[in-house]
Order: sequence, then C-alpha cells, then structure tokens
Amino acid sequence: MRFRLITAVAVAAAFAAAQPAAAQTTLNVVSAGDQNMVDYVNNYLGPKFEAMNPGVKVRAVGTGPGDSGSQKIYEKLSAQQKAGSAAWDTDVAVVHQRGAATMVNEKLLMPYRNDVAAGKLVSRDTAKNALGANVDGYVLPMFHSQIAFAYNPDLVKAPPKSYAELVDWVKKNPKQFGYNGVKGGMSGVGFVMGWVSANSGLGDKLEKGPYSAGDKATIEKSLVGLKDFNQNVVMTPGNAGTLDMLNRGEIAMGPVWVDMFYTWQADGKMSPKIKLSLPQPGLPGQPMYYVIPAKAANAALAKKFIDLAESPEVQADGIVKQFNWYPGIDPQFVQSKLAPADWNKLFTDISPSDLAKYGRPFPLSDYFTDIVEGYERVVLK
Amino acid sequence: MAAAAERRGRHVGLALISPALAIVVAFFIIPLGISFALAFRAKDGSFTLQHFDKSFELYTTDLVFSLAIVLLSSALIAVLSIAIAGYLTLGENPRAVAVLRWLYRWPLFIPFVVAGQLMRTFLAKNGMLNHVLIGSGLIEPLQAQSVLDWRGIVIAFVWKQAPFVTLLVAGAMASLDRQHIEAARNLGAPRWRVLWDIVLPQVRGTVLVGVVLSFVTMLSVLSVPLMINPNSPTMVTVDVAYRINTHSDYAVANALCLLSLLVAAGGAWFYLRHAVKGAEKT
Repeated sequence: MRFRLITAVAVAAAFAAAQPAAAQTTLNVVSAGDQNMVDYVNNYLGPKFEAMNPGVKVRAVGTGPGDSGSQKIYEKLSAQQKAGSAAWDTDVAVVHQRGAATMVNEKLLMPYRNDVAAGKLVSRDTAKNALGANVDGYVLPMFHSQIAFAYNPDLVKAPPKSYAELVDWVKKNPKQFGYNGVKGGMSGVGFVMGWVSANSGLGDKLEKGPYSAGDKATIEKSLVGLKDFNQNVVMTPGNAGTLDMLNRGEIAMGPVWVDMFYTWQADGKMSPKIKLSLPQPGLPGQPMYYVIPAKAANAALAKKFIDLAESPEVQADGIVKQFNWYPGIDPQFVQSKLAPADWNKLFTDISPSDLAKYGRPFPLSDYFTDIVEGYERVVLK
Repeated sequence: MAAAAERRGRHVGLALISPALAIVVAFFIIPLGISFALAFRAKDGSFTLQHFDKSFELYTTDLVFSLAIVLLSSALIAVLSIAIAGYLTLGENPRAVAVLRWLYRWPLFIPFVVAGQLMRTFLAKNGMLNHVLIGSGLIEPLQAQSVLDWRGIVIAFVWKQAPFVTLLVAGAMASLDRQHIEAARNLGAPRWRVLWDIVLPQVRGTVLVGVVLSFVTMLSVLSVPLMINPNSPTMVTVDVAYRINTHSDYAVANALCLLSLLVAAGGAWFYLRHAVKGAEKT
C-alpha cells in the first residue's frame, strides 16, 4: 500500500516536472526531400534559431524524397484549407517546384518575400517562375541543384560536349554509359529532358512555353533516337546506382546530381579522380523552395526563420559547405563568406559561366508529363 | 429453450469476432473499396475506363512480366524447399543435417529491402559473386556479367522465400509417420524414390499452401525490383510507385493495383480450392 502511494506520488511529480517551465512556441518546419534535409534543420538551423530566439522550439518533420514528398505537404495544406481551419499546423515548408506551383495556384501560400531581408539577395529567374507558374513573392530558393555528366578521365579522354557527340561516343564505347531511365530517379529523368531539348528543335519553348499539346508528336519523334541509344548503354538502378557503377568501374560516364556526387567524394564513397562536365544545350537542375502556408500559426517567426536560412553566412556554411549544393541566393553574396578553396570546390569542373549557360530549369509541367509519358510509349515498348 | 441458447451462443460468437472483423473492414475492405472506386472515376467524377485503357496501353508487358517472374520464382522455391526439407527428413549424416537445419533459416529474418540491397552489391558486374567465380578460376574476368536484371529479382525472391516454405514443408514432413519411410528404405528404395513416392504425396498440401503464400507475397514486393532491375520490363509495383511519385496519378496506380489483385486472386483461388478439398476430406 505504501509502495503504491510512493509510486503514485513519484509519477505525479515527474509529470509535473515534465511540463514546460514557461510558455513555449513551437515552430513547425515540414520538409520534402531526403532525411538529410530534416537533419539539417534538427542539427544546424534549429539550434541556431533557438539560440537567437529564446522560448522558441524548432520541430522538423520530413515527408520523403521527390515530388511525392511535396505532394504530401500539398495534400495536408489543401485538407486544412477545405476544412476551414483557422490556423494551420505548418509554419515553414520546404517543397519542390511542382508542389510550389500547385500550392500557389490554389492559394495555399502566403506572400512573404518582401518582408524578409534575404528577399533582395535573389535575382535568379527560379525565384519568380516555377516550371511556368508565377510564384513571385511566395517562394525563396533554399538551394539550386544541378545534374551533370560524371566521367572517369582515365577511360574518357575527351568528354562529349554535346548530345550528338555522346551518341557517337556511345556507339564506339558500348555499355560504358549508364543512366537510370525515367523510373529510377530524377537524374535519369533530367538526362531524358536534356535529350529532348537537344533533339526536338523545340528549344526554349519547353521551358518558357506556351504549352501546346500538338508538340507531343515532335517530342515522341525525338525520343525514337533514344530507343536506339539505349541499346548501347547500361540502365542503372537509381541515382545512387549510377554513382555506384561509376565507382566500381562498370561504367565510364553517367548523369548524376552534382551535390550527391561531391558529398560521396567527401565521404570517401567515390573516387576523387572522377570529374564532371555539362554538355550543350544543357542538363536541368531544380531549386527547392522555402514557403509559408497562408494560415500558418506562427507567420512572423516563420519569416525570421527563413531570413536566417537565406542569410549569406548560413547559405555559405550550411548549403555550400555541408551539402555541396549551389546556393539559393545569388552566388556573389555567398562567395565572400567562404574560403576560396571551399568555393572553388563547386566550380572546379564546371565553371560559373558553364553553369550559367548550360544549367537549365526543368521543362513546364505539361511538357514534363508529355516527355516522360512519351518515353514510356516510345522507348520502353 | 435449446433455440434460445443457440441464439445466445451465436450472439456471443459474433461479439467475440467483432473487434477482428472491425479491423479487417476498416483497414482493408474500406480502403479496397475506395481504391476500386477511384480506379473507375474520371477527374469530373463520372464513370470511366480510361485509367484501365492507359494501364493496358503502357503496362501490359509489365503485368505479364510480373506474373512470369513470380511463377518462375514459385516453381524454384517449391523445388528448393522440397530438396532441403527432404534432406532434413531423410538425411543420414547427422552433422550435415544439423548444419543445414541451422543455416537455411537465416534469410527468414531479413526484410526484402535488405535482401535487395545485398543482391545489388553481390550480383553486380564487379560484385562478390563474380569475384568468387573469377578467383576460383571458374570464369575469366572478361566473362563476368551483371546479373542485375530479371535474374537478380528471381534470385532475391527465391533466396528470401525458400526458407519460409522449407520451414512449413520440413514441419509437415517431420510430423509424418516414419513407418512408411522406414518400410520403403528396408525394401531397398533409394532416398530420392522415398521422397518422390512416399513423402511428397503426403505433404503436397503444405507445399501448395507455402507456394501460394509466397506467390502472393512476391507479387506485392516493391523494394526488390526497384533496387535490382533498372531495365524494362519491370514489375507492376515499380509502375505503381512511379505513377504516384512522378505523375501524382493515383487513378492509374489504383487501376494497376486492381489488376495485380486479380492476379493474386488467381493464387487465392488455388489455395481456397485446396483448403476446401482438405476440409471436405476430414
């Protein structure tokens, strides 16, 4: 009897002690993308922000990689909008371009760019245009990622500078080029986008519009060549699969995400002699965006958080140094905050001018769908 | 009086199974119904077959491929499990039997996604399998090829599911009356004859149950084909994930899932027919 009383008192005391000492605000950050994006907030951004704002706790949740992760965030916000909730439970979200475009169209986001100091540090087109949708004011790019060809210089003396040269090279060196198709990951999808951009004659129309359903036939015609191309290449099982096979020497060249490539090299998972190159007319890259839901419970805090995340110091230390991404804000603001060695690491193989010329955005959403479905109809049959 | 007691018994019976029934209805029947409805609904809410049209237009090869892979894997699993269980029952070297009994169960505890990752490095062109074959002089380095295609999927499936079926079959064989086996051995029958003519007919039911369970499980696996087979055709599960992740196209994904369900239902029909026959016999 006594034991029970003591246990009950102890449990009650523990419970009371566990209540927060003072009123605490929680900032809810929901991020699409890999687990490393969540770790970034939990291990780096969160503690920094909490130190600057006592009484605030930052909580980060991940929704998974790829457009499907952004889709989950969209579904949640859309459900809260339809239910008419007064305050939504997400304060800051990190989403892909397609997700951001849909959310702006359905009025799920709050415009905030003019309310944060970092808003003036971004002049790139991606801050206003997400795959054809006007998102000006609603987004700030967290980083810019880029797809490039990684190649083994011992086996590839002169990397192909265009898709036509690539086709010739692949004929002379069968099964030495590998990519992951359209079902294995975005680096393969990006390669196919670049192929269509180079071979369809549609050029900038794919990225700037206006969309015309009549272009489907042109797109499918340009994919016929890809079917022959595939006879001489190896299909790899994913973004990591391409990097694995490059490292094991099973292929000599393949499209990879630049940040993934540099991170693997830094972790020792990739041989340091492998290099990068960008062919004409280019390969796509994409930003991920910081957005604030329209009825976020802690909008003012959310703006402060994004301001911190987009400040030149954090972009230099976190985005460039930790993740090997190209910065979300304009590069000149970030360059001064980094040691020259760290800055040049990103630009050893691909110069800033190459990046400006050959780093493209992904095509408009409708063209994206047409190209990917065209691939299934023409190349995979 | 007896009728009232019977009714009360029935009510008690219903009350006892209602929690389990509620869970099955809430987490399986209702979502299945929603999936079914969404597969036939157009964007404007009307009934349509366009999603099935698209599924057959783009993914017929993949459906046939999935069925072929799973059938082949099931056949190999049956052969392998009967061989291992047969040796465990009829083997005469106690140490070999003990080692085999300890060894064959290991893949049981490994999830499919881990098995997929293992096979990715094991079966690659510069992977461990090829290194062993080259090192032992069985093949030349230039002959090494990557098994990371449909063969890799079959290998991963068989490696992962055979121990499960072996467990069932070995258990069934162990519970057989040893008289028949010993009588046959005394009459001079070789062990493979005993396995084929005496043991196997008696455990046929268990083999069928294990194989059908494996069939349905393998049909539902996403990780293994996604990680091992980048080529086309690939299994339907990869297409479902692709439709959702790249196109947010839940309608076609649901249609593909319903088609897979039909294929799995074929296996279930087999299982039920046997179970009913078994129940009628007793």
